[in-house]
Amino acid sequence: MSWRRICAADSVALNSLKKFEVDGIPVVVANYGDGFRVFPPICPHMEEPLEESGLIEGKVLTCTKHLWQWNLATCQMEGTETEKLMHFYDVKQEGDDLLAFIKSEHIYEFDEEDEMDDDDFFNS
Amino acid sequence: MPARNHNQWKANPPLKGGEWIDSRIYSDPEIYEQELEDIFKKVWVPICHESELPDPYDFRTATIAREPVVVARGPDNVVRAFLNVCPHRGMMIERRPSGSFEEAAPSGNPKRMTCMFHGWQYDMKGNCVYISREKEGYQDRLCKEDTGLRRLRCEVNFGGFIWVSLDDKVMSLEDWCGDAFKCIRKPLEAEPLEIFHYHKAVIGTNYKLWHDTNSEFYHDFMHYHNRVTGFNDAYFARENTAFKHGHVNVGSFEVQYDEYEGFESRAELSFPGLPPNQWYMVDLFPGMNFNLRGSALRCDIVTPLGPDKVMIEFRGFGLKSDTPEERRTRIDHHNSIWGPFGRNLHEDLIGVAGQGSAMLPGSENRRILHGRHENNLIHDEVGMRHYYDEWGKWMNRLPSDPSQPYMPAEAAE
Repeated sequence: MSWRRICAADSVALNSLKKFEVDGIPVVVANYGDGFRVFPPICPHMEEPLEESGLIEGKVLTCTKHLWQWNLATCQMEGTETEKLMHFYDVKQEGDDLLAFIKSEHIYEFDEEDEMDDDDFFNS
Repeated sequence: MPARNHNQWKANPPLKGGEWIDSRIYSDPEIYEQELEDIFKKVWVPICHESELPDPYDFRTATIAREPVVVARGPDNVVRAFLNVCPHRGMMIERRPSGSFEEAAPSGNPKRMTCMFHGWQYDMKGNCVYISREKEGYQDRLCKEDTGLRRLRCEVNFGGFIWVSLDDKVMSLEDWCGDAFKCIRKPLEAEPLEIFHYHKAVIGTNYKLWHDTNSEFYHDFMHYHNRVTGFNDAYFARENTAFKHGHVNVGSFEVQYDEYEGFESRAELSFPGLPPNQWYMVDLFPGMNFNLRGSALRCDIVTPLGPDKVMIEFRGFGLKSDTPEERRTRIDHHNSIWGPFGRNLHEDLIGVAGQGSAMLPGSENRRILHGRHENNLIHDEVGMRHYYDEWGKWMNRLPSDPSQPYMPAEAAE
């Protein structure tokens, strides 16, 4: 079973974000008016906690730290700063419950440069 | 000997070269500046212990020779050291003494070091990962790849201490002091250690005077309690040993705690692999001390703040596997000797503060005697003679007349 119940749909107010943990997997639920989106709770740019830094206005989610933006209706990137897609889990509503299809936690890859051997590093 | 007039007072003592030094080396501002450049910027300095950064993203800051340093544990569990300076405008990046980068700074992001001044960010490997409005300001003339942190040599060794050197070309830590640590390496490395005590003192004295006190036991005449209860045949049989690079071991022996009123044996909690109640002491050039007294380890690290000012950091360690009860006992053992109300520490500080008061910068140079010879046994001043010979080599100065270039003690007679 990969459809997991996240929360009651009415527990996330219009244009707000709320963090939940489902079977040990952290997610954020966003209510953008036309529906809901469920995604990992950190910004794919620099791991900022989106439930604190995120702002929804006109169906657009903005991470206020460095102004990366995504359109929650289309799931596409918005604005001039954004460089990476947000990962969205599939979502559906059953009665009052909000469910998301989560096989496993999605982990973003953040660039980390490979390291030289210490002696090579300090002697170069 | 009658009291002496000025000329008599200034005359050299009837001892050989290397058996006294000139007090200018404790007070001269120019010599102090040279020590920072030629010694402290070139050697290995223990910054702290790995148990002070137990989790990924934990950090600790320090300074070596006025250079701010930050050590941080990466997500890969590797501890790395960097100059704690932003490559943009030279701001100190992290101003707290310790903490975690797991949480974001107000202008930064989680898991990054953030310079609060303009929001530039660095990861735990020292890569620059964010320049605010990079393209707008620099177009493509400068980018993150050009602005990484200055990484420093860093090793974790000898019981989990974190060692840093400002010199990329420094010799290996093993070569630097492996010999001097040999006597306590097994007990320190048998299982992980954990810090249980930290305090620091800023003392109006030269850093070398503190190290001198750690390098000789003749001053047990000041430690009243030691003198009246501790002087016995085993005590006087302790031998000092000198190692390359100016390090010494101050004689080891089995302490008869039952002869100390109010003290108990430490045999049960003696460090693993250490003979019961054994006491070992390792003094490293230019001013670090590791003192394993049966059940507790003390470490002193000096940070010189001026010719007449030193910060000494005192740490106490037990085993990470200690039960709460064992830990309490170790802390008692530690504090009863070295705590603020212990038997030794405050007296040692009075000693060096008194020397510092009498050797302020500008005071007339005088001779400080290191000439006791007792077959290298406990009241022999060989530890200091060995140290100052090394000091002379690093500084290219003669300790007994620092205006002269270095020469071996025999040649200076």
